[in-house]
Amino acid sequence: MTREESSKVTRRSTRFSSSVTSDNPEPNPSHPPTVADLTFGEESITLDSLLSSFPGRRSQILDLIRLIGPLDSPALPVILYGHASTGKTSVVLQVFTHLNRPFVYSSCRTCCTPRLLFESILNQLLLHSKCSSNGYASAKRCDKPSDFVNLLKEALSSVVETLNSTKLEKKLMGKMVYLIVDHVDLIKEWDKGAMILQFLFSLSSVLKMPQLGIILISGLPPDVYYSNMGYTDPLPVYFPEYSEEELRQIFLKNQVNKKLYSAFLDVALRPFCRVTRRVEELSTSLSSLFRQYCEPLDDLSISPNEDLKRRLYSNLRPHITSCLNEVFRVSGRPHDGDTRGERRQKASYSSEKGDELEILDFHMSTSAKYLLIAAFLASRNPATLDASMFDSTGGMDNRKRKRKASEKSMEKKEMAEQEAVMKGPGSFPLERLLAIFQCIASVGDSSLGEEEDEEGEEEATGYDKESNNMMSDILLQVSSLCDANFMIKSGSCPLEGSIRYRSMVSEDLSLKVARSLSFPLSKYLYRR
Amino acid sequence: MAPSTSVADPQPSSTTDSFNSNAAAENDIRPFFVLHKASSGSKPTATVKAKRRIESPSPKLAKKSEIESVEEEDGQFFSTLRLKVFETVWSKIENTIQDVLRDSNSKVFSGVHNWICESFESVRSSGALSLSEAVRSYPVLSQPSSKQLFTALVLTRNLEMVDDLSTFEDLGLHLKSQGCHVAKLSSMDFSAKNGVGGCLRGLLRQFVMPTIDVADVTVLASWYRENGNHKNPVVIIVDDTERCSGSVLSDLILILSEWAVKVPIFLIMGVSTAHDAPRKILSANALQRLCASRFTLSSPAERMDAVLEAVFLKPCSGFTVSHKVALFMRSYFLCQDGTLTSFVKTLKIACLQHFSLEPLSIMLEHFCQDNQLPGEGTGLLTEATMKHAFDLPSVTRNKITRSTCEMLPQFLLDLQRMPNPWSIVVLCIYEAGKFDKLRLLDIFCETLDPEARYLKYFAPSAILNSQSHVSGRNSVIRRVLRKLRDLSPAQLSSLLKSWESLTAEFSEINEKVMELHPFMRNVEAAGQRPGLPTSPKKHASRSHSKLEKELKAMTDKISAVIEFMLREYMKPVETVPFNEILCFKNVDKLQSALLGDPRGRIQSDLLESHSILNCLCCSQRGTTLLPSMHDTSILYALAQEHADVINLHDWYQSFKTILIPRNSKAKSKSKTTSKSKKRKERCEEPEPPAEASIQARFCRAVMELQIAGLIRMPSKRRPDFVQRVAFSS
Repeated sequence: MTREESSKVTRRSTRFSSSVTSDNPEPNPSHPPTVADLTFGEESITLDSLLSSFPGRRSQILDLIRLIGPLDSPALPVILYGHASTGKTSVVLQVFTHLNRPFVYSSCRTCCTPRLLFESILNQLLLHSKCSSNGYASAKRCDKPSDFVNLLKEALSSVVETLNSTKLEKKLMGKMVYLIVDHVDLIKEWDKGAMILQFLFSLSSVLKMPQLGIILISGLPPDVYYSNMGYTDPLPVYFPEYSEEELRQIFLKNQVNKKLYSAFLDVALRPFCRVTRRVEELSTSLSSLFRQYCEPLDDLSISPNEDLKRRLYSNLRPHITSCLNEVFRVSGRPHDGDTRGERRQKASYSSEKGDELEILDFHMSTSAKYLLIAAFLASRNPATLDASMFDSTGGMDNRKRKRKASEKSMEKKEMAEQEAVMKGPGSFPLERLLAIFQCIASVGDSSLGEEEDEEGEEEATGYDKESNNMMSDILLQVSSLCDANFMIKSGSCPLEGSIRYRSMVSEDLSLKVARSLSFPLSKYLYRR
Repeated sequence: MAPSTSVADPQPSSTTDSFNSNAAAENDIRPFFVLHKASSGSKPTATVKAKRRIESPSPKLAKKSEIESVEEEDGQFFSTLRLKVFETVWSKIENTIQDVLRDSNSKVFSGVHNWICESFESVRSSGALSLSEAVRSYPVLSQPSSKQLFTALVLTRNLEMVDDLSTFEDLGLHLKSQGCHVAKLSSMDFSAKNGVGGCLRGLLRQFVMPTIDVADVTVLASWYRENGNHKNPVVIIVDDTERCSGSVLSDLILILSEWAVKVPIFLIMGVSTAHDAPRKILSANALQRLCASRFTLSSPAERMDAVLEAVFLKPCSGFTVSHKVALFMRSYFLCQDGTLTSFVKTLKIACLQHFSLEPLSIMLEHFCQDNQLPGEGTGLLTEATMKHAFDLPSVTRNKITRSTCEMLPQFLLDLQRMPNPWSIVVLCIYEAGKFDKLRLLDIFCETLDPEARYLKYFAPSAILNSQSHVSGRNSVIRRVLRKLRDLSPAQLSSLLKSWESLTAEFSEINEKVMELHPFMRNVEAAGQRPGLPTSPKKHASRSHSKLEKELKAMTDKISAVIEFMLREYMKPVETVPFNEILCFKNVDKLQSALLGDPRGRIQSDLLESHSILNCLCCSQRGTTLLPSMHDTSILYALAQEHADVINLHDWYQSFKTILIPRNSKAKSKSKTTSKSKKRKERCEEPEPPAEASIQARFCRAVMELQIAGLIRMPSKRRPDFVQRVAFSS
């Protein structure tokens, strides 16, 4: 979809130079929209520069041009498919720049309902633009596919008529309009999506207007859409994932210092290619990594020798692995008050388990903490063990006895362990949660109380009150834990009380919470 | 009637008869009713309070005494006056709190704004789009990184969102005043039911115009290009990210990021738990489109300390709370709710109750107005209130008699001045405690202790065996003292500086602090010597030991100063005469107003329904159940006899025997449970209700119990039994 940077050089020079001259952001454009606005409206690029701007897409571009055919030749519907970030949208748009033919583009990402999709197509054909003067309304209101066909026919014929009548000065635009629909795979998720999909695929046969060429872009292969409904299958063009070499060419395209960047790619690209080949993802992580790569350098225009390369690599190496795992990075702001500066977030916490584990960096009330632990325990421990875990003697002794008994069947245990991992946290009713909560909260309180007994009556009054009142707001706390995604709720009728909860807290977090309460969580956890 | 009586309920010790009479209470209804209405508007506990009030027994008022109409009028006059003073005092406290909160947020707000400006400039500098380009439906082809959506994660660091609703409101206003286009979405807009269309529609309604009905991003793009809108960034605030439906939010992010080049959008997401919370709810595709920066709001505990400092330690309103109330508020904050909102609410209830309970609280008005002498206020005092003033426990304890009546202004002057040295000492200890990350809340609670138990840590024995002895591990003062020994010379000197500035207005303490300077110089001198690189190792170790010695002397001296401060100037409010004027002490009232225990209330009210209904028929019933009682009440009383499951049939039968007196229907005798046999013959129904109507009443009552959350309907496994859910403790 986005293989754009390759095209940037050529495109910028043409489009932006023209756009600067006519840069008129006033609400009322100086000229009324014409059919010419359906094309890119600028000089077309040559086939050579088109091909060179998309490394590794030569055959797809040629295929597409062949399928679209020469000027004014009716074409069968085409479907472009392939993974995300393989240049589908960019290639199509650039091919139309090259051909300089009128087209209409609608993305199902932006138009998230059939109505929006239909109206967006019609608006473009009718050269209608939404603005405050028309109340941001569409040209036509259109909800149903049948209406759409009629309206589309009208709009198309008027466009074709103008195309016929206006012998455009120098450029040949032909007498055809092409309809590009992007992200077709998203329609599947829509309400009645299957129906819309069928309609879209059969559009050309329903419409019976050779002046409309249809190009669909999809993330999924065409097989998932076909059903024997009697329309001609669109011609497929497959966009495979880029190879490492092609990615290399793409990333080298716009670099100022190509030598330095290629040295960087030598070390960085390979590990990343194993994880993802999406240009979008790669470009964000590579750009931040490249900044680190260049950090020791004063002069960014030097061409590195072997020795320098080696040193830069050793400098970079620790960052690569951490960068590989990260999906989402959050950078702190200097004026944030947080002196830790930029911090990287890893998809897994494995590498930063050290001091991170110690602190809980948000505030929870004590009862919410106990509740969180109770939910965690209720999800992890089998319900049958509750009685022995939380009886008056405390869980410790019972558990040891149990362990000894089960040591005979090690294999069985391992199997059960794996099964538990696959199953994830178990669910529990509210009553069980509250029972466990009361047990552990009372344990926590009594341990606090013991300390204070030696002390005298000092704070005993305060704590007594708090344990008395612990229960009053507990249901409120449960709901706020649910809101924070620490627990999830399932079940239907609130009166029935059949709601079951499930704890979504990782063991790390619950350990953190337990530590902040100095609650012996591991004592109460049943390990298979 | 009931609502007014409980609040106007006089203190038992009070002798102001005007409050003890029915007539006066009736006259008092209006102001107190207004008082309550005003407070309950913003409080969710209003219903709880109402229940509590209903319960409060009214017979106390029955012992009425005849009073002159003059006093009656006085009572009304004073109660309206107190209401007025409450409003002044509370508005002062409230404004102070709001100022503090605004200050605490302002740094983050300007940080967010700077970030928006920087990023917006970087977007604009990469090239302007023409109008036709910007509203086209196909994407602008440029760098893949242009699909990144600038995102600010604002960490609120509190599980509860309540405090931060207003914070995000303020942030929106702040950004708006800086020229940004701001829209605010909440988790309500991100429901799975409405899908991404719902939140887009919400956005467009806020940005473009309120009547828009299509969820189309192109409208946003066209709007942005009109009327110079494109000169300013577009900001979308989502205040509770965790509560949003993840898929809808992901969809919105994907759509907006497609348009990010045409409409530079800045997303501000409030995250209440960990900073990686977005990773848990968003899809990978959406995550990767976010270019996130992190901003951290001050934590609730920090804000709490700032609020405490401004309200109680700096001159504010004069209103203060006693040790027990402070402890209660602290434990409520730490254990129950943990939001500043509820703390402020607690404070307001305390303040309100103080004014409704304490006749002399009108004097507080003069504390609010700094320039006015308190003496002027005494003109308002009538004989009755004067009498009340000299019956206050703190006055009788200090053996101040009526004869010193003319000294009252002097005492009040003292009272007004009194908190100053006290709050200076507290702030000094807070300074010292900062090295150990102690909270002002804890220090505040401990130092309010009227018995000054913290002083025992200065006893020589306590210092000697401080390591081995576990007692008082939670004591703040003790932790401060222990931490002092670990401080580095640099920390000590900064501590000294802050003490100096804190005590500048109070010469007695300031002198003591100044005495520390020579010790500090010694420490610094000793500290510099080992820094010399040429010094041989032996010498270094010797000078090191010297440094340690000096440090020891220094810390000893500091703890001596702390002890001096505590002993001499730490006069907790509660030990001062006439403190009742300022200080709210009634922790039980506060607690019942705040916590209410609605479930327990329902249960006990069901069992004691006659005390609420006050009907004649049930008033002398004793423990027996009468047919004239409310059905639900009868059923619940019957349910008490069962264990955690109740057989429906038995229950119904015993219900029926209550409703139909035994002599009129003898055959039901066989089915009755033992309890219902106690029923007396006294109340005979004129005619027994029909079987069908009994069944209907039974069903309705059971349903009501179910709705009240007291029982659960029969399960499939045991169709004949209902389960009791709630048990009275």
